[in-house]
Amino acid sequence: MIICVKDDRQAKWNVMLMPSEAKGCNLNVLECSGLVKAFDELVAVDDVGFHIAEGETYGLLGPNGAGKTTTISMISGILESDAGRVMVAGKEITTRTTDGNAEIGYVPQDIAIYPDLTARENLRFFGKLYGIPKDRLGPRIDEVLEVIGLSDRGDDRTEEYSGGMKRRLNIGIGLLHEPSLLILDEPTVGVDPQSRNSILESVELLGQSGTAVLYTTHYMEEAERLCDRVAIIDGGKIRAEGTRRELVELVGQRDTVNLGVIGSAHRLVEDLRSVSEIQQITAAEGSVEILVDGASRVLPRILEVAQEAGVGISGVEVVEPNLESVFLHLTGKALRD
Amino acid sequence: MKAWAITSTNIKRLVRDPSTIFFVFIFPMLLILVLGASFGGGFTPKVGVLVQSDGAFAQAFADGIAENDEFESLDYDDAAVLLADVERGVVQLGVIIPADYDDALVAGSTAAVEYIGRLDQSSVQYRASIEAVASDQSAVVRAARVVESEGLADFESAVAAAQLVASGPGGSEVIVSTAGEALFGDIGQFDLGAPSNLVLFVFLTSLAGSAALIQTRRLGVSRRMVSTPTSIGQILIGETGGRFAIAMIQGLFIMVGAAIAFDVKWGNLLGAGTLLVLIALIGAGAGMLMGAIFDNDEQAGSMGVFIGLGFAALGGAMFPLEIFPDTMVTVAHITPHAWAIDGFAELIRRGGTLSTIATEVAVLSGFAVVMMALGTWRLRAKLTH
Repeated sequence: MIICVKDDRQAKWNVMLMPSEAKGCNLNVLECSGLVKAFDELVAVDDVGFHIAEGETYGLLGPNGAGKTTTISMISGILESDAGRVMVAGKEITTRTTDGNAEIGYVPQDIAIYPDLTARENLRFFGKLYGIPKDRLGPRIDEVLEVIGLSDRGDDRTEEYSGGMKRRLNIGIGLLHEPSLLILDEPTVGVDPQSRNSILESVELLGQSGTAVLYTTHYMEEAERLCDRVAIIDGGKIRAEGTRRELVELVGQRDTVNLGVIGSAHRLVEDLRSVSEIQQITAAEGSVEILVDGASRVLPRILEVAQEAGVGISGVEVVEPNLESVFLHLTGKALRD
Repeated sequence: MKAWAITSTNIKRLVRDPSTIFFVFIFPMLLILVLGASFGGGFTPKVGVLVQSDGAFAQAFADGIAENDEFESLDYDDAAVLLADVERGVVQLGVIIPADYDDALVAGSTAAVEYIGRLDQSSVQYRASIEAVASDQSAVVRAARVVESEGLADFESAVAAAQLVASGPGGSEVIVSTAGEALFGDIGQFDLGAPSNLVLFVFLTSLAGSAALIQTRRLGVSRRMVSTPTSIGQILIGETGGRFAIAMIQGLFIMVGAAIAFDVKWGNLLGAGTLLVLIALIGAGAGMLMGAIFDNDEQAGSMGVFIGLGFAALGGAMFPLEIFPDTMVTVAHITPHAWAIDGFAELIRRGGTLSTIATEVAVLSGFAVVMMALGTWRLRAKLTH
């Protein structure tokens, strides 16, 4: 089921898909609604709301500055919201409450660890803040070090670690107290491919173990691989929400045709406007991105227009609809803009 | 216990940093040692003595200098070396007793002793002491000369008799009495520098320590703490406790270390302890305020050193307030340093107690409340907005 809400200020349709059945689980670990946060004149988050069920991995997909970190800061109880409500495992979260925070494992985008302490000492420090009993803390630290693959380096100072090892410890701290909801804020930024894959595998396992995961990213591939449901966020608002299949259906059967052009891309864009099957055209330096209904059918006509316009084609790539396309469709810009 | 986890982690991080260990513990003690040795009351000037004569009078003159408690006497055998050492300050003055010294005295002539001094005020004081040795010997020689001229004994016997008389009782003596109070009282060599350095370094370390707080914020560790089931109040208590504990550890180290190593007497322990606690609280509050105001740890570290040294100079932690003009003494008391140093001066120099430093304690308590309130207010705002 799809609900469309007209945003008069931006003349765009915000598309909300009603919750899908999440792995057969109906218990919502996180419920947030009406979240608003403004910094002076800038409205960073504007009426954001969603929920995450037990065992579900939920993605917030959007470019830098879309409002992802501000949203999860309010959900984590770090940042005071101007409006709205956050409930985690039935407990309200604000900057003034602490009960519900025990249910949350927050993994910030920054590597938030003490560089002059060892991994074990960092884990012990945060374990105390999470209120893990003394007799359980030691064994739990050993378990987490094992999970994040740092057992043999646990007594080394973290300033001696590689970037990937620090990232893994950063995540390990969030897992320490076995939270109901794990919040991961762009955990793979600046990580080498091997560590990145290791992190993604860990998140997949967490979802399977029943932990609810809120995962923010601006990497479409990560959202597609990990998330049961994805919210596309831009300009502080959720533009659409649903499973990958549901979101892609929003774009219809449209494909993306990427043309490498030699000559004036803008001239080609003007001439292509006459092709009725083309839904959207975006020009960049030396390339044109075209959203069409049925690329295989329309492509010959596109190439013909290019030839008539005297624009050389250096390459053609046809991409079937994905979350990148959905994002482009909903916001009129690419994820990495 | 969560607040203690934050406090203890702050302490652990401090003791792990070798540079902090040097500046928090070693450097203050070195400074107390250097200042005490250079300007403290225990300084004994050195006199270089070159005896070029084998005569008994020349040796007696040298012995007269050596027996004077005001000097430490060092023997020389080369006039050029002695001159060079006076110039370089190795010895504060030099005395050369010439080869014909005894001959001149026996012949009834004036025997000249060469005095080599530096062009400063202390040289006049030292010269008076050397002239006193010469005067004593002259008195003996003149007395012997009278005995000899009266035909009562030969010169050698007369000298021996005169020396015997001079070492016995009788004669005139100057008895010194004082009025008013000495500038720094009867204090030990290190008693003046130790409290000043205590105040200076506790503030300096607290302000420079704001850089660690900014690092914690910039790393995102502070935000992460807020995301745990730990209240903002506990985090603030933990961070404040960390800063306070570091200031107290440093202050106690300086107090105990100076007492053991340099025999500094801090006076009434309750009074001194109260002053230390208040200084540490003010320093912790100021460090938190700076840690919340600044976003750049290097900038905060530099400003901390600048403000710390500036307030120390203004507040009398570098130069005694007693040598300040009246206006500057008044201005100095806008700093907590001046009040703290006043309190220590009362305890150390005048045997004061907690009740006699009540005014200083009250003012410092006011400073502590204001700095703590400002520091926690700004840090709370920084953590949640």
